[in-house]
Amino acid sequence: MASVHFRDVRKSFGATEILHGVSLDIADGEFVVLVGPSGCGKSTLLRMLAGLEEVTRGEIAIDDRVVNEVDSKDRDIAMVFQSYALYPHMTVRENMGFSLRLRKAERAIVDERVGRAAQILNLQAYLERYPRELSGGQRQRVAMGRAIVRDPKVFLFDEPLSNLDAKLRVAMRAEIKALHQRLKTTTVYVTHDQVEAMTMADRIAVMNEGRIEQLGEPLALYDRPANLFVAEFIGSPAMNLLDARLRRSDGAAWVELAGARWALAAGAPGADGQQVKVGVRPEHLRLGAEGLAGEVVVVEPTGAGTELVVQCDGASLTVVVHGRSGARPGDRVLLAPGPDHVHLFDASSGARL
Amino acid sequence: MSWKKAGTEARLLLVGIPVALWSAFPIYHIFLFAISSKDSAFSGALWPAQPTLRNFGAVFKQEHFFLYHFWQQMWNSLWIAATVGFLTLLIATCAAFAISRLRVRGGRLVMNAALFTYFIPAAFLAVPMYKAMSVYGLLNSSWSLVLAMVTLASPYAIWVLKQASDKLPWELDEAARIDGATPMQLFRLVYLPLMLPSLVAIGTYALLLAWNEYLYAFLLLSKETNVTLAVALGHFLSADDSPWELLMATGLLYGLPPAAIYYVFRRYMVGGLTAGAVKA
Ligand SMILES: Nc1ncnc2c1ncn2[C@@H]1O[C@H](COP(=O)(O)OP(=O)(O)OP(=O)(O)O)[C@@H](O)[C@H]1O
Ligand SMILES: [Mg+2]
Repeated sequence: MASVHFRDVRKSFGATEILHGVSLDIADGEFVVLVGPSGCGKSTLLRMLAGLEEVTRGEIAIDDRVVNEVDSKDRDIAMVFQSYALYPHMTVRENMGFSLRLRKAERAIVDERVGRAAQILNLQAYLERYPRELSGGQRQRVAMGRAIVRDPKVFLFDEPLSNLDAKLRVAMRAEIKALHQRLKTTTVYVTHDQVEAMTMADRIAVMNEGRIEQLGEPLALYDRPANLFVAEFIGSPAMNLLDARLRRSDGAAWVELAGARWALAAGAPGADGQQVKVGVRPEHLRLGAEGLAGEVVVVEPTGAGTELVVQCDGASLTVVVHGRSGARPGDRVLLAPGPDHVHLFDASSGARL
Repeated sequence: MSWKKAGTEARLLLVGIPVALWSAFPIYHIFLFAISSKDSAFSGALWPAQPTLRNFGAVFKQEHFFLYHFWQQMWNSLWIAATVGFLTLLIATCAAFAISRLRVRGGRLVMNAALFTYFIPAAFLAVPMYKAMSVYGLLNSSWSLVLAMVTLASPYAIWVLKQASDKLPWELDEAARIDGATPMQLFRLVYLPLMLPSLVAIGTYALLLAWNEYLYAFLLLSKETNVTLAVALGHFLSADDSPWELLMATGLLYGLPPAAIYYVFRRYMVGGLTAGAVKA
């Protein structure tokens, strides 16, 4: 077990810099998820920790040891690849025991460790099979087994679930989480799926264009996104964002948008007359007697709730209603959020007010 | 089976049968000669009146002027071909691994040079090669032919093995590195097993190239006891009344090892060994 530290880490491929100074401290036993859109550099960051990419500038440390110049094999990490990367000419047993075999571990120890990993992952029945004889989910588990057997300081996962179908993905998500709770090994997990990030992480680092936009616990990110990017990225369906003007007088504060006004909580920040972006999560918008006028264009019942798409003066808002909704396409409605659930962002910088 | 399918099949047969006959006919002709007695060889019948195995007996017992060293020459051919196959494989595999997997500097240069050598016909190089071997004092030693053939076979072998190596998933190397493999262990435990089909194919290619070689063998070797069977067969034609039936019997025997090699290694030459490594 170990802590991991990125200190102002930069990475360039040729002349293009794709990571612009990432700093991140991961505590011993923590499960940190790196999440972000495609191409933001999360795999690169993970691969640098694995020793598969050179560090251009900055420092990566595992515990107190700077590993910039340390070979992959001497970093004591295990990695699960998106493609699984199982050795096709070895059985499941040989795949899982390969790292121990390279370390010249005794036969009995290898058997014992592989057996235990197989038991944890429910793979006992498949030990003598070859990867090509396994389903996607089983291959995935073998890849994890290969990592467990090592008993490494740090687990690295690079989108390990993206090749699985939706149902299996949910199941494996729970399995990985359970595994972490059981082994308590420090884990860095890369995904572009914010639901995965929200459900699995102790802390999430939201990345965009080679930078960490925000680092925090899942619900903290959800409740207080630090900027427009995180606000839009975290949460599903995504947060509604509208242009508005902030007003305050006599201790009251509100935003004006498209002829309507939404009240804000008493302590709301910002100056009178300031141009802002207003963010409201779909589940915090209410259909009511007053607010922003719009027309329902789509009604999507999901069973537990109903998703409405409401067209309001050029903007399209998503509303999630708990349970069933009587709304029909074509209905005219008025939308307002609860005052505690309005997020305000600076219109030009995008930072949270 | 639908009519349409039957029609397609019939048309394929219509093409296939003549092609098969066309290719099989010369072999049948050799066979016919080999089992005919000396007088009936040119009779033109489709089957000899009195088929005989005497010719083969004569070859095995080396009972003719041209055959005095048959077994020695057979051995020369085998030894040279096997050594060429082995050395070519060794060189080409190491080169392909270094260029494709370890990405050593200058790899592209080697690949371009390998391709370039194919613009020069092998026959062109025969005389320079003869000169080189004489400088090395290797003329009339089997090693001269071995070295020449390895030189001729290696560029193509490197080229093909490099292409095949490139198709192996890169993640496997990375996984092995993280698992703690040194480059040597990666080579031995991951790379070689996965390259096996290509290695067999290329080894066979080099082996057969050497087995079939005439020009270089003829130039570099001249003693009756160290020429290859291919050259020995050529000697038959130097006489006015060549013993055709013995030539054909020897020729048939000369054709057997390649056939056997093909038969043995056939199953290794199929691909699909990497199935299940990575999700495609
Ligand atoms: N070997 C390379 N050479 C040049 N550019 C690279 C290389 N590897 C990655 N990049 C670039 O670096 C950026 C980040 O790549 P990276 O693989 O880290 O993205 P990612 O966040 O993992 O995206 P995804 O979700 O699509 O996997 C991309 O713009 C990519 O084009
Ligand atoms: Mg990636």
